[in-house]
Amino acid sequence: MRRHIPEMFLGIGFIGIMTTLYLGMNWAPSVSIDAFESPAAQRIFYWHVPSAWAAFIAFGVLFTGSALWFFKRSPFGWRLHVAGAEAGLACGLMAVWSGCVWGAAEWGTPWDWSDVRLNTFGLLTLLALFLVLGRQSQPDGVETRDTFSTFGLYGFVLVPLTYIATRIWQIRHPGPVIAAGDDGGSLQSSMALVLLIGAISFTVFIIGHMMISMRITHLEQRLEHAQKSLDGGN
Amino acid sequence: MAASLLSLVDVEVRRGMSVVLTGFNLEVASKDVVVLHGENGSGKSTVIESCARLLPLETGSVHHHGALVVDSEGRRSQPKQPFGLTLQSNGLLGDETIENHLAAVCSLSGMKAELLPTLETYGLAHRRFDRIGQLSGGQARKVAVLAGLLPAMLSPQPRLVLLDEPDTGLDENTLAALITDIGKLREAGHAFIIASHHPEIMKCATRLHNLDSETIQEQPTCQPWQALGIPNKVSRLSTKTGHRYLRSTRAGLARNGLTALLVIGTLLAFIDPVSLEYTLLVGFVLASPFAAGLAGDPVVNLMREQRAVDWWRAHVNRLPAADYFAPVLGFILTALGSVLFLDAMNWKLSLVGAGVLWATLSCVRFIELSTLRLARPNAVFIRLLLPILILPWALIVEYAATL
Repeated sequence: MRRHIPEMFLGIGFIGIMTTLYLGMNWAPSVSIDAFESPAAQRIFYWHVPSAWAAFIAFGVLFTGSALWFFKRSPFGWRLHVAGAEAGLACGLMAVWSGCVWGAAEWGTPWDWSDVRLNTFGLLTLLALFLVLGRQSQPDGVETRDTFSTFGLYGFVLVPLTYIATRIWQIRHPGPVIAAGDDGGSLQSSMALVLLIGAISFTVFIIGHMMISMRITHLEQRLEHAQKSLDGGN
Repeated sequence: MAASLLSLVDVEVRRGMSVVLTGFNLEVASKDVVVLHGENGSGKSTVIESCARLLPLETGSVHHHGALVVDSEGRRSQPKQPFGLTLQSNGLLGDETIENHLAAVCSLSGMKAELLPTLETYGLAHRRFDRIGQLSGGQARKVAVLAGLLPAMLSPQPRLVLLDEPDTGLDENTLAALITDIGKLREAGHAFIIASHHPEIMKCATRLHNLDSETIQEQPTCQPWQALGIPNKVSRLSTKTGHRYLRSTRAGLARNGLTALLVIGTLLAFIDPVSLEYTLLVGFVLASPFAAGLAGDPVVNLMREQRAVDWWRAHVNRLPAADYFAPVLGFILTALGSVLFLDAMNWKLSLVGAGVLWATLSCVRFIELSTLRLARPNAVFIRLLLPILILPWALIVEYAATL
């Protein structure tokens, strides 16, 4: 039973995400047509915000794993790094893609190179892509792990920068809808409920994804060790 | 007791996922010739590269002439005394001449010398003005070995020389000259660490080391080497070397200059400058220095050849860099862009363009250098990180439009 916990997380998360999509598209109330250029497109927000939330969790795991490898030489830390990078890439791409769709409908342009929030989040996703592709292009070893862990550690600077970006320099991206302080009272309770279901579902899904990723990395390491034993190495 | 030129204390080094050296200690004094021998993969090159500060240490420290040069805490200091280094890869740039490369080695030692007699001994005198890329593999190896011996040949003070498989590709006469020179230099007080399996090299050792234990060998006395060098301090060696590389290869123009010209040409092919607003035109003007910067540092690209970057990294903390190239090219490109897009030369904008190219190139250089330790640095998708520069560039364009 315990062996299948990651698959259970993935399954429950997937069902939750599908439920969120259904509720977001069919049950959640529409926004005012005066407040948005394209009110119907706003429903993508039930996908965009939870996926961005899950991406931040994944980037946090990436940072923790990088630190554990870099400072403690922990093999578990390296597996966390790999899992965080892969999950960060998946969720980051989901958030960026859905944001571009919404931006095209609402702003008339899918991307704005002068918006700090868009750029810092896009960069985090590119960093995750760099780490995933880079790891696949290099043989496993301390040189590879040290270099990519360093990028993971420095890249995490972008996370708080992304978080505060719309609070300090709101250019095009809307302000915060969660933890917005005094200005955050505009979200209706039914909207908040769908968003909460989405956030929980994405979190459960991403945890399952990372657990499976760590298992695969562990198996890869065992396979490489076995191959080295067959080669006559240590 | 002779002065210690090198000490490795409790050194542990990993390569890949293997621990190659663990708890390794070595003390090398003046007049020692330590020959490391053993099976392939036993760690001979790892010892040489650790002594040259090229590998990070898991534990322990390395000292040259009693001063710390690298340790497991990440401290990395430039050796106060120059040392000789020949890596398994030659560490040479194909576009350099033999004369220029050896002159750079002399400058690293703070010396100058007439090298013609030494070049004659090694059969290279007639080739001294040739580019290294035009030499055969064996001739290039001779240059690399000579560059490793040179700090000791120049100096009357004891120097450390690290040679990794120096015999590879050498003919019999050159090998005999090398062994004779090692003996004379040892007699003059210099010390060697040599990784080699060659029986003739092993014969000239005072200590044969198999990384577990060592055997002492007596060596006959011979005429000591007479130092060739005259003190000659060279300032800003990294900058001068970087510019010399670019002058001899024109890599800066080929790589960065052409990229920028292609950007200008592409923009002009599609756009009528008369119909556009001023901020957009300023963006077009500053696009070419930005693109030239994104193309990367041409000196770093050149130094990837034959591990030249590692050879330099062992000797200096600041790698060769063409410091003036970026601002000068940026100024010229922006001035050209101003004339083409704005119909007039704009001095302030040209200065901004110089800064844009310099800053962009510096950032790309920093990112490129940070991945050099990887096994396959060319295979890493480093340019995925460069969009980080677009937002600052866009802000600079907005500011420049107000000038």
